[in-house]
Amino acid sequence: MINRKKFDFILAGYLIALIAIGCIVIYSASTTTIGEYTTTQNYWWKQVIFAVIALLSVYLLLKIPMPIFELVIVPAYILNILALILVLFTPPVNGAHRWFSFFGINYQPSESAKLLTILVVARAISKDNLTEIKQIFIALGLTALPVLLILIEPDFGSSLVFFFSLLAMLVAAELPLYYILLIISPVISIITSFWWIAIIVWIIVLVYLLLKARLSWVTVSISSILNLFIALITPVFWNGLKDYQQQRILSFFNPMADPLGAGYQIIQAKIAVGSGSIFGKGWLEGTQKNMHFLPEHHTDFIFSVIGEEFGFIGSLVLLGLFFLFFHRLINDIGQIQVRERRIAASGIFAYLLFQTFINIGMNIGLIPATGIPLPFISYGGSNLLFNTLAVGVVLKYLNERGLMK
Amino acid sequence: MKNLYLNIFRIVLVILILLLVGMLFNLQVVKGTYYQSIAESNFIRIRRIPATRGEIYDCKYRPIVTNIPSYNLYLTSGKISNMDALSSFLAYNFSIDAEELHKMVFEQRFKTYEEILILDNIPYEMVIKLSEKISNFPELSFRSGTTRNYLYPNHFTGYVGRIDAKEYERYKDEDYSLNSYIGKNGLERFYEVLLRGKDGKEIIQVDAQGRSLEIFKDNISLPPQNGLSLILTIDNDLQSYANEIFPTGAKGCIVVTDIKTGGILAYVSKPDYDPNIFMQKISPEVWASLNIPEKPLLDRVINATYPPGSVFKPIVGTLGLEKKVIDRNTHLTPCRGGLKIGNRFFRCWYAPGHGSLSIVDAFKFSCDVFFYDLINHMELDDVYAHTKACGLTEKTGIDLPNERSGFFPDTKYYKKKIGRVTGLSGFKANLAIGQGEVLSTPLEINTFFAAIARGGIWLQPHLLNRTMGAARINREQIEPLKSYRLPWSASTQQILKEGLWAVTNAPGGTARAINVPGATTYGKTGSAENYMGKLTHAWFAGFIETDKPEIVVTVFLENAGGGGAVAAPLANKIFNYYMGNIERIKKPAPIPPQFLTAEEQESEPEMEMETPAATETSVPPIESPIIENNPESNP
Repeated sequence: MINRKKFDFILAGYLIALIAIGCIVIYSASTTTIGEYTTTQNYWWKQVIFAVIALLSVYLLLKIPMPIFELVIVPAYILNILALILVLFTPPVNGAHRWFSFFGINYQPSESAKLLTILVVARAISKDNLTEIKQIFIALGLTALPVLLILIEPDFGSSLVFFFSLLAMLVAAELPLYYILLIISPVISIITSFWWIAIIVWIIVLVYLLLKARLSWVTVSISSILNLFIALITPVFWNGLKDYQQQRILSFFNPMADPLGAGYQIIQAKIAVGSGSIFGKGWLEGTQKNMHFLPEHHTDFIFSVIGEEFGFIGSLVLLGLFFLFFHRLINDIGQIQVRERRIAASGIFAYLLFQTFINIGMNIGLIPATGIPLPFISYGGSNLLFNTLAVGVVLKYLNERGLMK
Repeated sequence: MKNLYLNIFRIVLVILILLLVGMLFNLQVVKGTYYQSIAESNFIRIRRIPATRGEIYDCKYRPIVTNIPSYNLYLTSGKISNMDALSSFLAYNFSIDAEELHKMVFEQRFKTYEEILILDNIPYEMVIKLSEKISNFPELSFRSGTTRNYLYPNHFTGYVGRIDAKEYERYKDEDYSLNSYIGKNGLERFYEVLLRGKDGKEIIQVDAQGRSLEIFKDNISLPPQNGLSLILTIDNDLQSYANEIFPTGAKGCIVVTDIKTGGILAYVSKPDYDPNIFMQKISPEVWASLNIPEKPLLDRVINATYPPGSVFKPIVGTLGLEKKVIDRNTHLTPCRGGLKIGNRFFRCWYAPGHGSLSIVDAFKFSCDVFFYDLINHMELDDVYAHTKACGLTEKTGIDLPNERSGFFPDTKYYKKKIGRVTGLSGFKANLAIGQGEVLSTPLEINTFFAAIARGGIWLQPHLLNRTMGAARINREQIEPLKSYRLPWSASTQQILKEGLWAVTNAPGGTARAINVPGATTYGKTGSAENYMGKLTHAWFAGFIETDKPEIVVTVFLENAGGGGAVAAPLANKIFNYYMGNIERIKKPAPIPPQFLTAEEQESEPEMEMETPAATETSVPPIESPIIENNPESNP
């Protein structure tokens, strides 16, 4: 089923380049030099095997006839929800129930849930004869189910990714933008609730934007009153929380409040990236890495190894590659004719883009540590597999262009 | 309008990428040199500030275990530049071989920025001698710390040691590091949680030139919370006296308990060992000296069980009284030097025979025949239940690890062992005099006699009186002391006490060696035959009363002879010492002010009144507060 004329070799090329960079950096990250003694852990060749498996899976995905692929999505989504429930009963690893492990292979059902939820939501909201309101509620419902289960694990970072994919899909569904505004407005209300001037400014801006969208007076007043209410009630909720719960939330947004815990990691990552300077210390030469200041530098903090060993130049190359990849992806979305697939591809785009942004942002101290790996680069089997498969889905849609509608 | 959303995506993509590029430019190009200097000096790290472990004092605030300064050698494996030079330096000066070093570095491979303690308690002279050479090795540093000093050999304090791999796996979530010390035995282990305190943490952030780096606004440190000190019920005077009078070369133990509180005043097990030897690397010679047949590491008070011999007779006697098999005046089969049970002749220890006896006289003479006969009128399982109710088959629950419990067989045991539950009279006869399968720890015997002395109230023995330091917790607050009534009536108690009084006072009593002016004495001797040697185990358990209950003493000597001849005299010395007849007990040293809080200082006179052993002597106070404890001056 692979149509050479329609296969996007360029996108696939970017993908393989990113995975290759990941393997090279993981080799460095799993190597430690003390004096003249060098030890290498087995992460890097495991990642090479994962990469081969992931690319083979993409090949198989492209071979599967489209009708079968479309048939599988919904059952797979349901199975995945079951897996998310089951995973809550596994023994905790580092205090979270995220992994199944069979025969030494760890499978994280929240990884596959991201991709499957995107596909199912795209399917659901692109049905004909749905009003816009219905589209929004169906999409919210289908997303909320896995998100709630993932929040219980707990895994706040992964839940965040769902939110961004959902927004992108609604945008791609060409809903009027004020719906998007209405969806994100409660979040902004909660954020502004801590400062009364911000509440006033925000409500005024909201009313202005909604009026400009020519909404009826009723809708405008209901939504603005609702948002005002949320903004005012949030402090009440906040004060109702126990001290330690408040501390936990605060230290998520402000890791420096917990300098021995989350903050310590971010500071060390920042030092690693910063000390890479313009040209970097060279491959395998990172001192922060060799001193093991960062316990997870082959997974979530892999970018700090890149920043430290390849410097600003290396970081720019990587960011440039990511830019080209995403830019190509956007153009490809425009090529897809079927609405459902376009929406799904947009969700995949957002899901990959925000993981990339959040992870790099976390490594340079822009964003709190949330435990999101860097797509295609970070070590980890299920993560690499499902990110690659997500790109594979887009490649498959491109192959089918022009066949329907 | 079809491509509106694509343009939104493009805009978002460009904004996010530009944001990251901008941040990276700032971090790597603008501030690159700054972060480089931090990374090179590598001086941001978390250091553990060990909490000072609580000390251990006796009931009059005299030290038993203290902390003394020590010098330790630390290694930061991430700074190693020349492994060969380092390993030869360590091998030459500290006899740490290369293999050991590599193992330590390997174990620490994920925390190369943390210091590992590689050697502790280095002599000060060595520190001075090597301090210059060590500056060639930036990865090595001397650091002062504290180590434990055990003031006298004993079995109850236990000792601390470096946490081992197994303990670390088990306790690492409780904030132990690989450098931590942990109580390995005795009180050090039992009260680890109280003694340990909470280590502090410190983030050090100076660069190579010692300039402060402003990554955090302030240097952040969590000060350590020092451990609580323990005030024991042990009385160092009585403890050292019991140590002195213990026959040289003998094996056994002496336990002295305060009847009123159940607190242990003296806890001697011989042969003993000096816990300080565990504070250094143990040499093979020292290790060999601990593994001799005399077993100096064995705590004979709680970790070993022995046949109790005749000190067990009160159990059988009281059950007979309770079951109304006998009363105060019942005379059983007269003793003719033994008793034929079945087709076997069970001998009394006194071959000429005691004749016809009441229970009081049977206690007094420790006549075996009386108890052979008595137990044959009772069911084995009743005796088992009674023994259990007297606490002789259970752990006493003393605040020490690894306590063993005594044993008494029931019919189930015999069914399993010999396959029948009838025809056990021969076994029963042996059990009646504390021989055969019955086994007890000396502490169980001591606790049982303390319960008799208390009028039949069993009370959990303990070593801890209270803690001192950040929190003042007394023993009852940690865990309420178990207490229960022994299973007999007031009249039984009365008859038993009469018998025990006769043992030490009436003509012909087996413990006439006991003579304590100013106090009423009670006791029971025991001479238990055993497979370990030809001579019997010598037992004496007894107590004294003035106008109130005072102390109970248990003396146990392995294979030393008869209880009346060997064990009772030692108990006699302790009773007399306690009563002030042999030598005045040292007047309690004034309590050092640092041990008193303001409120304690106010209430201090009252406290002194309550300390029983210290002031309740029948001898008027003496002028000199301290008299040297000189054994030769004893009468």
